[in-house]
Amino acid sequence: MQTAKDLTGRELRAAPIIELEDLDVKLGNRLILNRLKGALHGRCIGLLGPNGSGKSTLINTLLGFYPPASGTARMFGEDIRGNIKRLRSAIGYMPETDAFIAEMSGVHFVRYMAEISGLPRDEAMERAHEAFFYVGLGEARYRKLGTYSLGMKQLAKLAQALAHGPRLLLLDEPTNGLDPQARQRMLQLVREIRDTGEVSILISSHLLHDIEECCDEVLILKEGKIAALCNLEEERKANLKFLELEVNRENGFLEAIHGLGCECASFGGGRLKIVLPEKIHVRELYRLAAEQSVQIRRMNFRRDSLEDIFLKAMEGKSTVTKGSANGSL
Amino acid sequence: MAVYKRRYKVYEGALTPAWSRFAVLTRYSLSSLFSSRLFTGYFFLCSIPLLVGIAYIYGANSAIVQSMLGIRVNGSWGINSSWFATMLQVQTALGFILIAWAAPGMVTQDFANQALQLYFSRPLSRTEYIVGKIAVLALLLSCITWIPGLLLFGLQAGLSGNGWGWDNLFIAGAIFVSSWLWIAVISLLALALSVFVRWRIAATGLVIGVMFVLPGFGEAIDFTLQTYWGKLLNVSYTIRLVWANLFRIHPRSIGVFRTDVPVWSAWAAILTTCVISVLLLNRRLKAREVVRG
Repeated sequence: MQTAKDLTGRELRAAPIIELEDLDVKLGNRLILNRLKGALHGRCIGLLGPNGSGKSTLINTLLGFYPPASGTARMFGEDIRGNIKRLRSAIGYMPETDAFIAEMSGVHFVRYMAEISGLPRDEAMERAHEAFFYVGLGEARYRKLGTYSLGMKQLAKLAQALAHGPRLLLLDEPTNGLDPQARQRMLQLVREIRDTGEVSILISSHLLHDIEECCDEVLILKEGKIAALCNLEEERKANLKFLELEVNRENGFLEAIHGLGCECASFGGGRLKIVLPEKIHVRELYRLAAEQSVQIRRMNFRRDSLEDIFLKAMEGKSTVTKGSANGSL
Repeated sequence: MAVYKRRYKVYEGALTPAWSRFAVLTRYSLSSLFSSRLFTGYFFLCSIPLLVGIAYIYGANSAIVQSMLGIRVNGSWGINSSWFATMLQVQTALGFILIAWAAPGMVTQDFANQALQLYFSRPLSRTEYIVGKIAVLALLLSCITWIPGLLLFGLQAGLSGNGWGWDNLFIAGAIFVSSWLWIAVISLLALALSVFVRWRIAATGLVIGVMFVLPGFGEAIDFTLQTYWGKLLNVSYTIRLVWANLFRIHPRSIGVFRTDVPVWSAWAAILTTCVISVLLLNRRLKAREVVRG
């Protein structure tokens, strides 16, 4: 009998999770995705972009809902063309929109979906219950889905995506319509799932904060093209550090900072802005201040945030970092 | 992902064979249909023709019953191909109501809250989805049409003896082929119309409309254009014409009084209905709609 492990065994884990090879997708006569090329390796990959940038289209293409007009995509090293059915058994999908059968109870629905994914009846039943407890809907699992609140429906969608134990989770706007508490709960769940290390996650969102909280790699789309593809961790490490200082006097201190190899600008009144290279630590500034008898009254430490990366990408200043070696624009 | 551990775990156990996944849809749809007492009651009501048929055949072949009833009829009480065709006609009429009830509900619930994308994000093709749903209708209709039909034929053959069964073997074939022809047409049509309108009440209305309003439209065409081809819009008419041919009876004996249309055109009309239904399903049954513009 075929097993789930056969489908996505160890040999596939070494490959990038998703590879895009000059992927074009047309809907009607409109080109929605335009020559996407890149390799995504992250445990949790964020798919960012403004509304209409092609995020959901990319997810739908990976699921085989839309055929590529040209180029292709690979998941776990396998081409989606011709292998999509096999690949789908290793994917859990949480759509952006409502997706349920209102007359079914939560656990019945999730069991049904797990059985369609190939789980035998008993295992499907067991894992449906487990999935409901896991997402925190254990007490509501026998209620009809039509009676669930919006937040509960989102969690039920996550439960059905998890129940068959996939190796890749595609989450399309998972925090849509959730109140702050439910949103935190959803993000917490995503982080927990990510940290198990057993599953890769692709989250589509237009909320930077959601992506920043969960993801280690980000693909930013703009008008159907890749605007940026970067490994967030490496991006943060590689970025220069920006410091805003307020000191009691600048004389001599400014020159000493320049002497360290930092770029520094004075705005008067003891306000300084410093670009700190990676090799220079903040304690060097304290040492200099002590040597010059300068009091540091305020220090704001700031790294390039995802917001900066996103804004740069939207302005057309593209980013591709080492973490995503194959990315191109 | 055990409940007490609250931790996600990939499933690495055995999977069911890929070819059998469509049967999950069939099983759940049947379970959903039979959760309604009204539907269950009606389904058993559909077995009345079988019970009546059994009683009739037994009476026709039992001298004791005949003497008790004070009836004395020579021959086999008219149990021939016409009798079986009429029986099939009654059974399919009951089956049609069953289909108009079951098919729209079964499909529209998947469309109502866009659950279709969840089916197709799994290792399930659109063909398997259709096969899974049609299997429900085929199972239900088989229990009402050809299975009881062949049971009655077997009973008649057994009680009558004298090689009746062998001499009339074509009736068994006609029951089987006619039933499956009707099951195929009506199931595809009901599913296609349900997928087309995606709203249960409208879908039920449309299924009934195609069977009862379209013939009227066909008659209007015939009257206006002084032709007879409009009858091909009458699904019930074309099917009965083909049945008459298969049962080797005059169409009049199953209520087809005008036989202007040749049988080949009836076959062609049935085939066209099936093809249009399949095309409609192919066009509308998608995880995602592409809005053109």
